[in-house]
Amino acid sequence: MAEKNNDFEPNIVAFLCNWCSYAGADLAGTSRIQYPPNVRVIRVMCSGRVNPLFVMNALQQGADGVLISGCHPGDCHYMQGNYYARRRFALMRNFLEYLGVEPERVRMSWVSASEGAKWKEVIEEVVSGVKSVGPMNKFQRRQLNW
Amino acid sequence: MVDVERLREIAREVISRDDVRQLIGYRQGTYGFRARPAFITSPEEVDQLIFSPACVNNLATYLTLEEKLPVPRGQEPDLRKVAVMVKGCDSRALVQQMEEKAYERERIVVLGIPCTGVVDMDKVEKRFPDVLSRGEITLEGDKFVLSFDGQREEVPKEELLADKCKRCRYPTPLVYDQLLDEAVERFADDDYSDVLELEKRSAEEKWAYWEEKFSRCIRCYSCRNVCPMCYCEDCVLDRLNPQWMRRSVDISENTAYHIARAYHLAGRCIQCGECQRVCPVEIPLMELNRKFYKDVEELYDYEPGTDAEAPPLLATFKVDDREDFIL
Repeated sequence: MAEKNNDFEPNIVAFLCNWCSYAGADLAGTSRIQYPPNVRVIRVMCSGRVNPLFVMNALQQGADGVLISGCHPGDCHYMQGNYYARRRFALMRNFLEYLGVEPERVRMSWVSASEGAKWKEVIEEVVSGVKSVGPMNKFQRRQLNW
Repeated sequence: MVDVERLREIAREVISRDDVRQLIGYRQGTYGFRARPAFITSPEEVDQLIFSPACVNNLATYLTLEEKLPVPRGQEPDLRKVAVMVKGCDSRALVQQMEEKAYERERIVVLGIPCTGVVDMDKVEKRFPDVLSRGEITLEGDKFVLSFDGQREEVPKEELLADKCKRCRYPTPLVYDQLLDEAVERFADDDYSDVLELEKRSAEEKWAYWEEKFSRCIRCYSCRNVCPMCYCEDCVLDRLNPQWMRRSVDISENTAYHIARAYHLAGRCIQCGECQRVCPVEIPLMELNRKFYKDVEELYDYEPGTDAEAPPLLATFKVDDREDFIL
């Protein structure tokens, strides 16, 4: 495990599906639920839109963790998008773990539009998970200091 | 072992057919023990054909690799069949390609070779370096017999056998029009010991292992080009917008390349081992592919390249797929 740094605030990229998780995160906001501000949200129309290369690319560009969130199985606006996402993600997660990327960094969740409180729990869990493994220091792109 | 006379006889019959344009097989290489692909278009060339444990190439690659030039106006496209010689592992590439609807079964003639294992050329060269004259390898019982420069050497099969053959589940082709020999019994099985060993390590150790491997990569893309499953005309690596991985050779882009390459073979790789064979810097690419192979078998009970009627793995789902990793 990387050395633990209490000041470390992770960057987490979250891919949220438009119909459930994005609305769920919105509900958490309008309900004034406090959750860690480490998440950068990218709205996609469906979790099935998330190419596994998105995860790789986010980690490459400096994310410490990635979260993919979609509708609960059976609730997908496009009927089955989240089922496909689940298969793809299961393989991607196992593979990244095999390469040495800690599984805490790549997470998936089901959050529906009415689950503002669950969104908070998910984010807290993800953030504490990424904090426990420290900054991503494996295959980011080299940043030039201008 | 396949009888070469019978092989040539069948090949002559096939290439003489009016509806066959080309036959892809093996012929003796220029030097050493190597064999190389032969592209036969007329019955006179058939006598070049051989089959021996030195015939390591997966010829299924050439079916999709062939450049399809646009047909000039007024001309008909050449729709005649292509005949191809396949070993057990190569036949699975055909099955997988057909599962993905790369071409119709009617477009190819398959000459199946029940295979008792091929050699690993690296092991041969390590053992017999600097053999420049043409040599031959045959299998006699459980020994490989290598003859070159009037010499004759016997080596136990285990010592030269390619790693993929030591875990081959399908030595007899799964798809064929004609079988060139008696079917062989399965003589090995896969226990994933290499993958399991690596999985047990800690995250830091795993990354240290792969960082060293990936940092050697020179991005020659041989592994992509030789792969029978990498036949997209528009490859994600060649895209400039979005440019998923940059062309610079550094650990970040190399890792991205290897993730993308391996992921695109998830549920598709048929374990022919060609990528690792051609790698000039000896990256153990099969260990990446085999991780997916193992996961796919464990999670979804799916084995690529065994059923041409099955839907491709990632184009389908089951409602009760595992989801214990989901928050």
